[in-house]
This record gives sequence, structure tokens and C-alpha cells, in this order.
Amino acid sequence: MFRAILYSQWKWSRLIVAVGTIAGFALPLVSLQGAARADRSPLEAEALLHAVQAWGVLYPLLAAALGLLVAIVTWAPDHRGRHIHALTLPLARWRYVLLRFATGATVLAGPILGVTIGALIAVAAATLPPGLHGYPLALAVRFALAALVAYALFFAVSAGTARTAGIILGVIGAIVVVQVFASVANLELNLADHLQMVLTNWPGPLAVFTGRWMLIDV
Amino acid sequence: MFDRRLVSIILCGLAGSTLAAQGTSVTRLRRRADSLATEWRRADALASVADSLERERATGGRDTIAVGALRIVANRSPLPLREAAQRAWVVVDSMYGPVAQRLVTRPYFILAFDPDTSVRRPVLRVGLEVPWNSTVNDLTHLLLANIPLEPLDRRLDEWLGGPLRPRIERSRDIARVYVRLVTAPSQSARRCFLGDVPSCRTVLDLNESDSSYLQWYPSAAERRALLLRSFSDYFDRPATLTTWRACMRGEDADCTQLIRSLPRGAIPQPLASDARRLLAHTALRIGGRGAFGRLLGDSSAPIGARLAAAAGVSLDSLLFCWHADVVAARPIAVSLPRWGVPAALGWILVLAVCGLRSSRWRVA
Repeated sequence: MFRAILYSQWKWSRLIVAVGTIAGFALPLVSLQGAARADRSPLEAEALLHAVQAWGVLYPLLAAALGLLVAIVTWAPDHRGRHIHALTLPLARWRYVLLRFATGATVLAGPILGVTIGALIAVAAATLPPGLHGYPLALAVRFALAALVAYALFFAVSAGTARTAGIILGVIGAIVVVQVFASVANLELNLADHLQMVLTNWPGPLAVFTGRWMLIDV
Repeated sequence: MFDRRLVSIILCGLAGSTLAAQGTSVTRLRRRADSLATEWRRADALASVADSLERERATGGRDTIAVGALRIVANRSPLPLREAAQRAWVVVDSMYGPVAQRLVTRPYFILAFDPDTSVRRPVLRVGLEVPWNSTVNDLTHLLLANIPLEPLDRRLDEWLGGPLRPRIERSRDIARVYVRLVTAPSQSARRCFLGDVPSCRTVLDLNESDSSYLQWYPSAAERRALLLRSFSDYFDRPATLTTWRACMRGEDADCTQLIRSLPRGAIPQPLASDARRLLAHTALRIGGRGAFGRLLGDSSAPIGARLAAAAGVSLDSLLFCWHADVVAARPIAVSLPRWGVPAALGWILVLAVCGLRSSRWRVA
């Protein structure tokens, strides 16, 4: 059953996976462009770090985009067919959803491998000034976690009912309204900032996306 | 037709009138300078009176807290000043040694205020205003960051780039020096990072030389890069345009001439002042309680000799210790914490379970 669902998943998402894999492979190589030149001055360490840091912004964006697109593609045919195909299968719902989740996570292995191989090649080919080190595996692990967190998040949202979506939107709206009233009443209440801190600081779910994504660092 | 005597008379007249005019200008300028000096003396006297009155006002009706040689004049408040002073004194005494006794005559003035009221409080021009709800930790940092010791001698102060105070965030400060040592656009800094002690002496500005910049940036490419990075706007103007263009074409003599035209203090050093301050702290740490006194001892001696005297070891040994401290403080580069992986896997699991539970298959 897993292979059959994986095949259908691959058919639906192969374009996204292919583009994501190429982008993931190219990103580390592009971020270290010029570092492989033998004539590169070792005095340009700061410039090299700035370039790597600037390109590093694209890793979490790519991970989030891949997670979102694969999660949407995972559920889109079922939503379109009003889940009739899934209901005809001799499977409990939880097993079907688990298989869908696993196959979606499996196809994400392509872009993750792309980033890993690209990062390893980029670091091996670069001439690094003394004191700077490459972190290809740490970056690849972080990319994998970010892509899987994004995928799990959007998978859960996509699998949910309209009521669930309404509840989530309602909570967000309530926070905005409370924040506006607090500002008008001149209260020192900053719910938006507090929520952002909770979500993006460890152990928050989005913490893996934040911070510096450095392929090369001290 | 042309009387030469007439010409010489006219010239003499012109010269005389010019000299007279110059004499008048000099007299006028001297008078103006004298007047400014008088005004300055008057303003200084007024400022001294105001300062003294402010001190009187700051000390009037206040308590004095004494811990070691620390003296804190403060109004009554729930601030844990004594606890903070006890913590601060341990650090101050270990760093400044016998010199810290001078603090007996130089008290802190602290005005504690209620942070939850909008009632206007009297303006305090002497001392520190601190909210009541400050913690012991914050207060300790405040006391350490504002030690009222007299300023260092000018030479040491210029070398350090400011007063020498206890380090509050030691490991983070040293990590910053590590990053600078690795990324500074200077061969000397790179060699220092690799353990070459004479290069460390150079980048820490311990060679008493007027042309230290030639050692900081020893190659033509480095000097050109320095000018391009920091002074392109300054030199790309009519007065220096020819030299600037020659320098940018690769003429090192022109680059050197441009750098030489800058005041010494304006030339960016490969390492920032925190690296030099760290060296001074290393000297104090090695030298023990009397180190600060020895550092201040001979203000005419070269900085390197003063640091070595403070540490009680040779300058090369001191630089070796400094280098070892910096290299040991290499910052952790990967920002994913140790438990980041299990936390992220946990969230993936939680979200997957949410996906399992929420269903569109329910029949209405």
C-alpha cells in the first residue's frame, strides 16, 4: 500500500521535488561562489561570511516553500475528488493519513539530499581562510528539520476541516483585536510580540527557521 | 614717463598698509582669544559651583551605604543596594587591588525612583537614576559599569579606547575578539591568529612607532583595500584626486602618502579596542591584586612595558596567554542547540497527530 501511495505522491509532486532538489543543490554552490578560486585573497574572510550569511536567508525560505507545496499537493487530489477514492480503500482513516504523511515526507528526501550533496561539494571545493570552517552536515540536518516541520504544519492545516481552519483564524483574529484594544487603552500588553517569541524561540515550533544559516563560519 | 621712484614709494606704501592691517588683525584676534579665555574661566567657575550645589543636593537627606571601599549615597528605597555592592566589591577589589581604596573618597550617587508612577521626579544631574524594581544582578552590573575611579593617564586611555572596567560578559567579549582576529583584513592579524606573537604585538599596537599602519597592513593590496573601504569619499575630491587615482591604479607610494596624511587615530586598526582591553585584563588577571597599581605606576613607559610590569611576566608570555584565551573562546558557530533536533522532531510528531485527528470524512 505504501508503494502505491508513494507512486501517486511522486506523480503529483515530482515537478516540485525536481525543482526543489536542483535549487537545494545549487544554493550552497552559489553561496560560496568565488571562494573556490585559488587567487582569492585570504583577507576577504569578512566579505565571504557576509555573502554566506546573505545567501543563508534562502535556506529556510526554500524549506518552508517545499513543505507548503508538498503538503498542498499531498491533499489536493483527495480534496478535489471529495475523498471518495480514499473512502473506497479498505483502510482505517488514521492509517491512510499516516501513509499520506509518510509518503510526503519521503519525497522531501530529494531536496534534502540535494542540499547535503551541494553543501559537501561546495565546502570541499572552497579555499577557506584560516579560522573559518565549513558546516555542511549541520546545515543539511537543519534544512531537513525545517522542511519536515513546515510540511507537518501545512499537512495538519490541509487535513483539517473548515471548522478547524475557522478556529485557527478566529484565535488569530482575537489576538489582533485584543492587541488593538490594548494599544488604544495604553496598556503595556504586547501579545503579538509575545506570541512571536513563543513560536520562534526554542523550543517553539518555528525556532528551527530562525537564526543564522551559515554554511561557513568561524 | 615711468618713474621708478614712484613705483617703489607706492609699493612701500602698500606693504606698510598690509603690515599695519596684519598688525591690527593679530591684535583683534588676540583680544578675541583673551575674551574667550575670560568667558571660559567664568563658565568653568559657574559649572563648578553648579556641580558642587548638585552634589550637596544629591547627598542631602540620603543614606550612605559602605561596603569595602565602595560608598553609595542613595535615597531610601527597596533597592537591594547593599547586596549589589557586596557582589560588586568582590570583583572591584580583585581587579583594582589596593587602588580600589581610593573609592572611599569617590562615592556613587543613586536616586531610586518608582517606575510605576507618572509623577515628575526631581532632575538629578549628578549620579545615577535607578528604578526601584531593579534586580541585584542589574544593580551589580550598574555599579561595575560606573566605577567612579579617576580617569587613566591619557596615553593608556587612548590605547585602551576608554576606561578599564571589570568585564561583565567575559566569554562573549572574548568570542568577539576571536571573530575579529579571524576576519580582520590584515595579514598581521591572520599571522597573530596562527600564533605568531610578534604579529600579535603589531596588531595590538604595542610597537611604539609612528608608522604602525605599515605593519598593520604590510602589503600594497591591504593598504589599497583599506583606503577603498574606509576613505574613498574622503580622498575622492579635487585636492587629492590625482594621488587617489594613482593609488587605485596600484601605485603603492601614493596609497602610503594618502594614509600618511591621515591623523594616526583615524586609521582603522585591524583589531578593535576590545582586543586591547582584553590584553589589559589578562595582565591584571596574571598579575594579581597589585597589578592595577603597577599598570598605573610609570605613565611615561611604553604600554607594552607597563602591561608586562602589571602582569609580572614578559610581554611575549603575556601575549601568549592572551592568544590562548582568545583561541579557546571560539564561538559555537551552529545555532541549532543540542536539544533542537529532539524539539523539532517532537513538533513534527505533534503536528502529524493533529493531521490524523482532524478529519473531513465525518458525515454531517
